[in-house]
Amino acid sequence: MIVLDRVAKRFGDRLALAELSLRVGPGEVVALVGPNGAGKSTALRILAGVIRPTAGDGAIGGWDVVRHASAARRQLGYLPQKLGIPPATVVGDLAALFGAVRGVKRADAVRQLAELGLGDRLGATLAQLSGGQRQRVMLALATLGPVTALLLDEPSISLDVDGAEEVRQAIRDARRRGVAVLFASHHLHDVAALADRIVVMVDGRAIAHGTLDELATAAGLPRGDAASEAPIDKIYRVLVTRGRAALRLVEEDAA
Amino acid sequence: MTSGRALLRFELAAVYRGRTAVLFAVGFALASVVVALAGLAAGGTLAVQGFARTSVSLLQLVLWVVPLLGLLTGAVAGAECHDLEFLTALPLPRARIVVARWAAWFIVLGACIMVGFGAAGIIIGALAGAADGARYLALIGVAGLLLAASLALGLWVGVAVRSRARAVGTAVVAWLVLAVGVDLVAIAVLAILPPGEAGWGLSLLLLADPVDSARALGLGLFRADAIAGPTGAALRRVLGGVGAWALAGGLALWTAIPLALAGRRFARSDL
Repeated sequence: MIVLDRVAKRFGDRLALAELSLRVGPGEVVALVGPNGAGKSTALRILAGVIRPTAGDGAIGGWDVVRHASAARRQLGYLPQKLGIPPATVVGDLAALFGAVRGVKRADAVRQLAELGLGDRLGATLAQLSGGQRQRVMLALATLGPVTALLLDEPSISLDVDGAEEVRQAIRDARRRGVAVLFASHHLHDVAALADRIVVMVDGRAIAHGTLDELATAAGLPRGDAASEAPIDKIYRVLVTRGRAALRLVEEDAA
Repeated sequence: MTSGRALLRFELAAVYRGRTAVLFAVGFALASVVVALAGLAAGGTLAVQGFARTSVSLLQLVLWVVPLLGLLTGAVAGAECHDLEFLTALPLPRARIVVARWAAWFIVLGACIMVGFGAAGIIIGALAGAADGARYLALIGVAGLLLAASLALGLWVGVAVRSRARAVGTAVVAWLVLAVGVDLVAIAVLAILPPGEAGWGLSLLLLADPVDSARALGLGLFRADAIAGPTGAALRRVLGGVGAWALAGGLALWTAIPLALAGRRFARSDL
């Protein structure tokens, strides 16, 4: 279970995230979408314990991500948008570390990488891998061990068609294992294909939240088979444009 | 394997695979050998004189090179802690990441220093005899204490400053202050305070500077504290026999406190 309870984050004067509340249950996949700077990564990074919230609480598997950080992270797999580790790191060293920390034997960690076709790349550094291979390694390590919650920040960024499909498959596998998955993505068709619910964010605020059907209704677009009758791109554009206009009105009123 | 040991192995592998350690090992070994030969030859003959004479020369090398290397390496390693987003999401206390980085660099650079001292020691032993060999080993210990303190200080600087370039700049300034600046303050203290009061002031100043502490400790090993400068002489007068232990304890504190501060700072910072 992933929980965000009125979580906010300020960087100096800038409000990066305004009171976001969200629950992702076991076996559920929720997507965060929105333009750059919408607060998607900020929300994920707070849950991963990489940054601290200015207000509100986040929890993973019932453990507060600030007060019981280690217990929360024990159940968490996190794939950051950036590499988040020196590119000179050797794949085998990383697998040994993740295995030890997550209570998985090195041999099992290595086997998991081998199953992804990376068995012969254990001696390579991350910098020597292709973008797709690197992302596969990071995803395999993020999901290693008894993970009950998975946070993915732009998991298919810079991946080719096959690589993106592998990421989609990893998310489906995680869902099947009962893992709660929260991911941020600009790939709206991935979002439509994978997410049970979608949160649309603009300027640090969640402006819409629901299933694709519910979002289509909120956008005033035809219901029914929303994926074909009201493509997610269109729903997204309408909601983001409307959200921006509403936020502008609020700011003007405040001024 | 425990997660702490796994983290140390991971950091050790990262340090070992970098080129910094190898370059330092080769450079320090060459410099040690050159200093040892120069020290032996300075007497006009390569006569039997043991380790004492050349050790004092080697101490000067340690006092200039070790803190600079420790501060710079620590500062870069500390700043790079902020690039570890993938690792910090693991169930590992962040302070442990800082300590593992410090330990890995200490082990590798400490081994490099031992290689340098070992090379110089073989030459000294062969040409000048084994007298004072035990004190020479103790000098390696002093270099280790200074390395530990300067690495910890550098890590604290790097974690606090975050940017690698600013961390390096701050480390160089810190090195200048510790290697030169504190001595200038000591001279000023001597000039200003009456001799009776200056002794305690200088002793405290000595403890407040890990480089000066190591200098006094190293020279004391070879009964050469008469040339330890004003602070060393004052320490001998004020603290007497416990001076060496006070200095070693001071260096240990110079390691523990900055390391604790670096861990605390990193644990509380947003990446």
